[in-house]
Amino acid sequence: MLAASIEKLIVNSGNSQTTLLNDVGFKLDKNQIYTIVGKNGTGKTTLIKSLTGLLDKRFYAISGKVIFEGKDLLSLDDQELKIIRRQKIKYVFQDAQNSFDQLKKLKYYFKNLNKPLSEVDETLAYFLLPKSLELYNLHAYEVSGGMAQRISLALALLAHPSLIILDEPTSGVDSAIANLFLLKLKEFVKDDSCSVLLVTQDLRFANLISDKIALITNGKLTKFLPPDEFFKSQENILSDNLINSYHQLTA
Amino acid sequence: MNNIIEVNNLSYSVRVKNSTGSSSEKLILDNISFTLQREMVLGIAGESGSGKTTLAKVLAQILRPTIGNYSLNISADWRNRKTNPVQILFQNTGEILNPLREINDFIDEAVKIRFGDEEYESKKKKILDSVNLPQNLWNRKGFELSGGEQQRAALARILSVQPEVLILDEPFSAQDPISQLNFLNLFKSINKEYKITMICISHNLKLLRSLCEEVIVMYKGKIVEKGEVKNIFENPQHPYTKFLLRAEDYSLSYEEIQNELELLKE
Repeated sequence: MLAASIEKLIVNSGNSQTTLLNDVGFKLDKNQIYTIVGKNGTGKTTLIKSLTGLLDKRFYAISGKVIFEGKDLLSLDDQELKIIRRQKIKYVFQDAQNSFDQLKKLKYYFKNLNKPLSEVDETLAYFLLPKSLELYNLHAYEVSGGMAQRISLALALLAHPSLIILDEPTSGVDSAIANLFLLKLKEFVKDDSCSVLLVTQDLRFANLISDKIALITNGKLTKFLPPDEFFKSQENILSDNLINSYHQLTA
Repeated sequence: MNNIIEVNNLSYSVRVKNSTGSSSEKLILDNISFTLQREMVLGIAGESGSGKTTLAKVLAQILRPTIGNYSLNISADWRNRKTNPVQILFQNTGEILNPLREINDFIDEAVKIRFGDEEYESKKKKILDSVNLPQNLWNRKGFELSGGEQQRAALARILSVQPEVLILDEPFSAQDPISQLNFLNLFKSINKEYKITMICISHNLKLLRSLCEEVIVMYKGKIVEKGEVKNIFENPQHPYTKFLLRAEDYSLSYEEIQNELELLKE
């Protein structure tokens, strides 16, 4: 079943008139994990931010369609998008710590979800986080970067969205936690008929977690392919370089 | 004495308010001791939340240790300078660079603070070249650079003040494998060229293995293992280090992870 469809997405930077995303189109099916890999500065974060109107319209010109549950997200106003981002599409940003209001205690974010404490504590325990009793009293600046990333994912899961979008989920956490992320996200797309879209540089993680992988280069996105096919395809020289460096690093 | 850093029984704690309104001490760094020789590259690996960044901040004298002592044996000519001999390249470079300021401008500022107005142009060029920031980017503003470019620019600003110790906090986290390899070589060459002592905090054990001579593994605010990189990764002693290495391929099942965690509790 189709979860979202992205059509002819074009994003230009307003100031320098450079094209950041050039005619990007893809479909997301339910129960699948999609991964976008690519070099730095190729538009990965721009792409995921553009899907729900998170790019500042003063600096970016955006065209195209993002069809989600029968609506074109790009035609909605800020208020409607806020509701979608609260309930349906949850983000876990790379810089999770700064995606929290530093003056609010973490309690604020969990209370807003209106979920039973037992469910909250179960999710927190899964990610090796302190119990709600302890965690609720902390501010985002009082936890480490990796903890903020885990809290952010816990919050996303507790909201029971239909799509979770993650930006570099493994960047701030150790391998054991990344391993937990992998297991939990796989479980999430299985149980709730949901989907996951993530961008990462971590090809090992991408290889293990994804149902489909695509490469982004200079604002162009390749077709989504199953991991084995993706890593075998030598069409793109840049992806080749990427994969070579990866092999060199892991040797 | 060739030790640039000596840390003895250092602890750092914060006051935490409980829900009842009373407060208690929470140990972030627990009895840390280590020494670091000049021009060495030390890696710090460890659990997220184990105090790695806090340790970096204590070493850079941004935070004061609660107890214990820390001495930094800087060279004599540093004592009169206005800048900190220990500089940190923070994880979120996007937050450090002023997005509306030109690269030229803030590198100039740093070079002038260190060297004065004389010949700063040539010094600036040398520094920006050494971090491989192409000249066509120098007149860009912070927000017009990609994450990796911002990181290079931030590194250039740090090198401008010629620190004695450079702390890299998760320098590889936002990078693709190509840039990781480039930065790895860049850090190695900066270590040689500028004779800087380096400390690299990273979750990426493979990169630490390649960059560092010595490594410290932290767990719950303590140093649980330290020594030569090769020894530690080939013959880990502490259960947490073993766990980290086993989880490196992300192929553990939930049960296996729980088992490892049980072992850590013992």
